[in-house]
Amino acid sequence: MKAYQADIAKFEASDTQVFGMSVDSVPANREFAKQIGVTFPILSDFVKRSVVKDYGVFNEERGFGNRATFVIDKEGIIQHIDEGGAAIDPTTAAEACNILTRKKAQ
Amino acid sequence: MIRKSLFAVLFLTILAVAVSAQVPAASPQPPAAPKPAPPAPKTHLKVGQPAPEFNLPATDGKTYKLSDFKNKKNVVLAIYVLAFTGG
Repeated sequence: MKAYQADIAKFEASDTQVFGMSVDSVPANREFAKQIGVTFPILSDFVKRSVVKDYGVFNEERGFGNRATFVIDKEGIIQHIDEGGAAIDPTTAAEACNILTRKKAQ
Repeated sequence: MIRKSLFAVLFLTILAVAVSAQVPAASPQPPAAPKPAPPAPKTHLKVGQPAPEFNLPATDGKTYKLSDFKNKKNVVLAIYVLAFTGG
């Protein structure tokens, strides 16, 4: 999350809304965001945990989501996926957004 | 990497079973291999597919729907394990 925050200008420059998402409650996420200085919204899939299941990042056995980043274009199509350790580093996701923006400009 | 080592474990297990099946059953069974940690589930979603809709409350007090961004903005969704795990 911190790394995404550090790169927030890159995402904003490519006309991109960044969201965090977890299965924690809104107050827990708010506290977390405050502690690590995240300003983008963190979505809370706390009640039903249906979205993390829809995105295939919910570990039934352990009861929580794994780490994954999805880049979704303006048509609502997935353009890039980072999973596991790769999802900690926002570089590839930022690049994917940059490419999307350049495509649109052509 | 994980997948590769899982395949290696699987291959060795099959090999061990095949070998032990040919040896007369006089020797005691070899100790069972330690159970590997469950692999991190890989998402079923693929690049090029429509992203599933969401409609969730956020830290800023607003509720966000993916479809609200259609034709307006790209969306990056960074889903993480739990709060207080850093990253």
